[in-house]
Amino acid sequence: MRSLLNFLARFNNLIIFLLLEGIAIYLLATGNNYHNTRVILGIRGITNGVEESISNTRNYLNLRVINQVLSEENVALRNRIGRLTEKSSSLFFSVTDTVYRQQYNHTSAEVINNSVTRQKNFFTVNKGYLQGVAVDMAVTSDNAVTGVIVGCSANFSVAMSVLNQDFKLSTRIRSNGYFGSLSWDGRHYRKAILSEIPQHVSVNVGDTIETTGYSAIFPEGIMVGTVSEFEKVGGDFYKITVDLKSDFKKIDFVDIIGNMKKNEQLELENKFQ
Amino acid sequence: MINRILRHIIFFILLILLQVLFFNNIQFSGYVNPYIYIMFILLLPVEIPSWLLLLLSFATGLIIDFFTGSPGMHTSATVLAGFVRPQILTVLSPRDGYEPGASPSMLTYGFRWFLIYSLTIILIHHTALFYLEVFRLSEFFRTMLRVLLSSLFSLTFILLGEFYRRGK
Repeated sequence: MRSLLNFLARFNNLIIFLLLEGIAIYLLATGNNYHNTRVILGIRGITNGVEESISNTRNYLNLRVINQVLSEENVALRNRIGRLTEKSSSLFFSVTDTVYRQQYNHTSAEVINNSVTRQKNFFTVNKGYLQGVAVDMAVTSDNAVTGVIVGCSANFSVAMSVLNQDFKLSTRIRSNGYFGSLSWDGRHYRKAILSEIPQHVSVNVGDTIETTGYSAIFPEGIMVGTVSEFEKVGGDFYKITVDLKSDFKKIDFVDIIGNMKKNEQLELENKFQ
Repeated sequence: MINRILRHIIFFILLILLQVLFFNNIQFSGYVNPYIYIMFILLLPVEIPSWLLLLLSFATGLIIDFFTGSPGMHTSATVLAGFVRPQILTVLSPRDGYEPGASPSMLTYGFRWFLIYSLTIILIHHTALFYLEVFRLSEFFRTMLRVLLSSLFSLTFILLGEFYRRGK
């Protein structure tokens, strides 16, 4: 108590000053319209800033959920686009059966296991046959070829990555339509080899390589990568090195594409072999 | 003693009237507003208790605020001036200290001393006042120019008043 009184006695001038100055500032802030507005704006500016940063943080923490929602929405929209854009090639559709008009079915999934360092790389996604995934479905990430489903369990599927020496894909050069076979030579995780392009074809660095759709796995026209360099080996064909569009070290959300007319196509083709 | 208090009261009323009736109507080009009522705070006796000085500053500012219709503005600037006055007096104290009962005026301590003393307090008071008036930092240098020019004019008028008192 005594020390408190001593303290008050020692700083009484300061206390009186602060008290009077406080009254003056209070009068200033409340009595004048202009100052009142400025004070309120200032306080609001501070609280807005704090609230904004809180909200930003919250948004950031929710990004994972948001990504998932967006990816599912994308799939729903792609399914709808597939239904709407696929032109009916038959004149005899009497019933509007949207399933028959749609050729490709999209499912989104998340990569939960992945490797790029082996010679035969696979990755695992978190959707299985219960979610409609089946063997020989195509996997794309960010609209670029990523792999092919090779095995399914109830809730998981394993896909063979492009970075697998067993992976073969029919691709073509978008500018001139010549097609060849794309495979991986096991060296760099961002480069693949396109062979069987004849040497009379003009190839340029930067040309887009896309899928042909001949295999009935990948839809036509999905980008694989761009020509990085090409050389003439042997007599007839180029050896084209392709920069893959997918970065396999960071694939996360992928799109599994099933061809609903694949069996029909294969059955028909098998009759003539 | 009573005589001295009475003289201060008359001086106070005179300054308020001068400020309100005359100097508040001076405004050269938006830059110069002399505020001479601070002279009352300047000339209060040296040994006045700090709490009384603060209360008198508060009252002075409040009265000016009533007349100018700007509650709190002059009050807070003048209270600040009253708060720093004892410190400035300590810093500027003559070699053999202040005489008892002396008023910090030009009559007692000379022109140079009074110039430094009054300029310091006027600058502090005007700085607080003008920045509180604009209440934003976006026109910082324009406000500073206003502070300097107005301080110069206030100082001139206060010095004139002091010369007049000495001449009398």
